[in-house]
Order: sequence, then structure tokens, then C-alpha cells
Amino acid sequence: MIKAGQIDKGTALLIKGAPFICVEREFVNPGKGSAFVRLKLKSPTTGQVLQETIKSQDSVEDINVEQMDYQYMYNDGENFHMMNVDTYDQFEVPMANFEGYELLMKDGETYRCTVYNDEILDIQIPSKVVYLVAEAEEAIKGDTVQGATKFVTTETGLRVRVPIFIKQGEKIRVNTETKEYLERVNS
Amino acid sequence: MDIRAAKDRSLLYSNIRSFFTDRGYLELETPTLSPDLIPEATIDDFASLFSNEFSVTHEMYMIPSPEIFIKKFLAENPVSVFEISKCFRNCEQLGRTHNPEFTMLEYYTIGFDEKDSIALTEEMIRKTALENCPESVLRPFEILTVREAVLKYTGLDLDSLQNPRDLRAAAEKLGLPVPGPEPWDDTFNRIFINFVETALPTDHPVCLTDYPKQIECLAKVQGNYRRRWELYINGLEVANCYFEEDDEDIARDYYRREYQKLLSLRSNNGKTIPDVDESFCDIFANFPRCSGVAIGLDRLLMTETGASDIDSVLLFPFSRMLGL
Repeated sequence: MIKAGQIDKGTALLIKGAPFICVEREFVNPGKGSAFVRLKLKSPTTGQVLQETIKSQDSVEDINVEQMDYQYMYNDGENFHMMNVDTYDQFEVPMANFEGYELLMKDGETYRCTVYNDEILDIQIPSKVVYLVAEAEEAIKGDTVQGATKFVTTETGLRVRVPIFIKQGEKIRVNTETKEYLERVNS
Repeated sequence: MDIRAAKDRSLLYSNIRSFFTDRGYLELETPTLSPDLIPEATIDDFASLFSNEFSVTHEMYMIPSPEIFIKKFLAENPVSVFEISKCFRNCEQLGRTHNPEFTMLEYYTIGFDEKDSIALTEEMIRKTALENCPESVLRPFEILTVREAVLKYTGLDLDSLQNPRDLRAAAEKLGLPVPGPEPWDDTFNRIFINFVETALPTDHPVCLTDYPKQIECLAKVQGNYRRRWELYINGLEVANCYFEEDDEDIARDYYRREYQKLLSLRSNNGKTIPDVDESFCDIFANFPRCSGVAIGLDRLLMTETGASDIDSVLLFPFSRMLGL
């Protein structure tokens, strides 16, 4: 058990028996009275988001989570198939719990995961990732409406708006949170 | 470090000084170190040591509010006063709206009660406001009691929930878990912070009056409530006003109970336990009828300049100095 005031972003808690991860934390004090903390919590299994403002001195159940490395093998449309790089144990993680991750994870790549009770609670995708441009649409000559940009599709199927000079086979660095192009990467 | 923040602050202070001196208020300057404090269980203190190799060492405390000195002054000199004072509240939680060292404007008007202070405060804010102050800060205050606000935003009637167990049950029905028996005011704050504070309109200031009597402080009690109000601007609590308690016995009772609460909260966690001097309550034998208002000037500056973080209005915020 820990005090609510000790919770930080990334702390994993048990709320009514279900695991939640703190995604945001803000301190709030009433004019006169005990200190409070406002928490935004996300369930990695259901995607449910909770907002709770509780006393900093309230006890909450934190859960011991482990950070382990898993290799992403493939997905079958319903589950991601991940393999623990140390034990070679294979795990299925419902894709519904990590919406859109199939566009960000590269086959064969290793990702740091938060694990609790043999269940993968969180897959940490680095905020900036280099992807191969698998398909690049033709820039339409004279099309100045969109500015000097066009769309490409990465090896993972992610569609990114990029400058027109980006070609198929090139590598680009992408912000995985905003899905925005950052820069071309020279191999 | 923004020079504009420094200019805005300087102009606001200058406007405030003119506003009060034009109306005959005396400006005070009182100490920031005191050998004892008015007990407040949930405000943590900074301590310092006055030491001299030839005499006794004294523990001294940085004031959390100039109230202690201003009231001693008023007991002997019943004139309307104001002070712009640095205040210090030790806390482990830094956030967007707190800096352990901050500036308070306090003004006490002889002969006023807290209702009189509302119109004065509205006028003061309007007349001293910075040039590009948003309209939302300058509109007339919406005035409602805490009971009305709680009823409006939760459907609960505080008058029928004076028993801590009933209030706790009501909180849990609203979906707020209450881990165990706790004082009434703690449960009230859970409800208030989760449902009322967050729902207050932000396009005009809101003055919440008549706070529950269970929240202990030196404001006169009337029924289940206290003659007290707080001002919210942009959803941020900016000012606190009392119709000042002037009964000696009630003040002493507050001192003793609050100090016990303070001791029970701090005895085991290494936090500073300040000395308190109950003889402070002697001043109430001859205390003028008055109402005091305390305004957090850093927060007022935030609302007038559109800043969402107190660090923006401070030249050297704690968080930056300590790398937090």
C-alpha cells in the first residue's frame, strides 16, 4: 500500500480489483483542510479512464509490476503475439486493449512491457520511432493546396503526411503520439 | 524569467496601494518571523533559529499569514488597515497554483461584516485591474452559499447531513470512496473538490459564502455555518474573508482544539511543530468589530494575465530553483 500523494505518472494501482495505470497527476489543496491529489487513471485491459480526486494521505493499493522485454511477432487481427525475450514464453494480448498499436509496432522488434500477474498491462512504444516508407503516393504536380506535402505508408501500415521529397524505401522518424513526421533519416 | 511578469506585479501593487490609501486605510508592515503562530493543523510551517552565543536560542517561524500581527495591532489601534505581505507555507506538494513562498494582500475594515467586504472586494479588483485583464475577472460576483452550491451540483442538502456518518454515506453514493471514519470536514472537502469546485462557472467570479462550521477557523459561527466567504475566479480560489471572531472564550477553544489536531498530525512525521501562545486570545477582550479579507496576489495576477501556472508570474519559482 502507498499513500495517494506518492503516486506518480506510471504508478500501477489496483482499483476495485482491477489494475489501472496513472497517466496524469495534479496536486489540489482546499483553502482549509487536508491536501488532495487529482488522478487520471487508465485501465490497460479495458481502456476505461477514471478521474479520482482523493486525499494525499489516503492509502491506495499499488501493485508490483515488472518491466520486461517482449518481442512483437505478429497479429492475427484479434491478438498481438508477443514473446518474452528471456523466457521465450509466448503471450497473446488483445488488440482491442491497445488500439492502433498494430500501426506502430514493427515485426520482430522488442518492446518494454509492464507486466502484472502474467498479464501485459502496458506496451511502451518509444515516443520517436524510425520507420521504413513502404509506399509513397505520387505528389501531384502543381497541387499547392496541401502545401509541399503528401502521404506515405510505413512498413507497419501507418499513414503519415510527409514532405514531397520523401520516397519509397527511405526512412523517416515519426512522433508516435501525434503520428507526425519529424525528419528524414539517412541510413 | 519574464520582465513583463515583474512589470505587471509592480503595477498591480501600486494600484492596490492607491486604492486603499485613498480610502483612508493605513498600510502596515509586520514581521515575517514570529516566535509563535496561530495554530492551523493543515498548514505546514518553515522554522528558523534565532541564536546568540550569550543567550537562549529561540525557534522562530515564517508567517503563513500576517493575520497574527495585524490582529494584535487592531486590538490596540482599531483603524482599517491593509498589508501586502510575503507568506510561507511549507508543503511537499508543488503544483500549478502553489509556491511555498507567496504574496498575500490582507485588508481589515473596522465596522464591516463579511457581506460588506464583498462589495469592497469587487470594487477593488475592478479598479486595480491590469490593462488587458480578461472580462471574466471583472464581471459582478455571482454570490451563493456553500449549501446552495452543494445542492446545485450534487443534490445533497448539507443541513440534513450534519452527522459525519450520514455525510460519508452520501459521499459514497456519489461514487467517492471514503476509506474509514474521518472528520466531517474531510468528507465535505472530498465532495466539494470533486463536484463543486470543478463545476463552478469560469466566465465570471463566484463568491461562495457561509462555509460549514465544521471547517475550523476564526470566523464567527451562525447556525451550521460560518460568516465566511471565498472568491473563485476562473475556477481558482483567490480570496478568503471572515467576519472576524471576537469572543475570547471561543478563540481560546479554537486554539486548544486546533493545536491538538496539529500535534496529532505532526508528532510522527518530523514536520515542524510551532510554538503557540494562547495569550494571543487576550486581544479579543477588546477587539473591534471588523471583517478581514486575504487575497493571494500571485493567483490574482494569474487570472489577470491569463497564466495557467503560478510559475509564470514568479521570477524565481521554487520548482525552478529546486529543479523539481
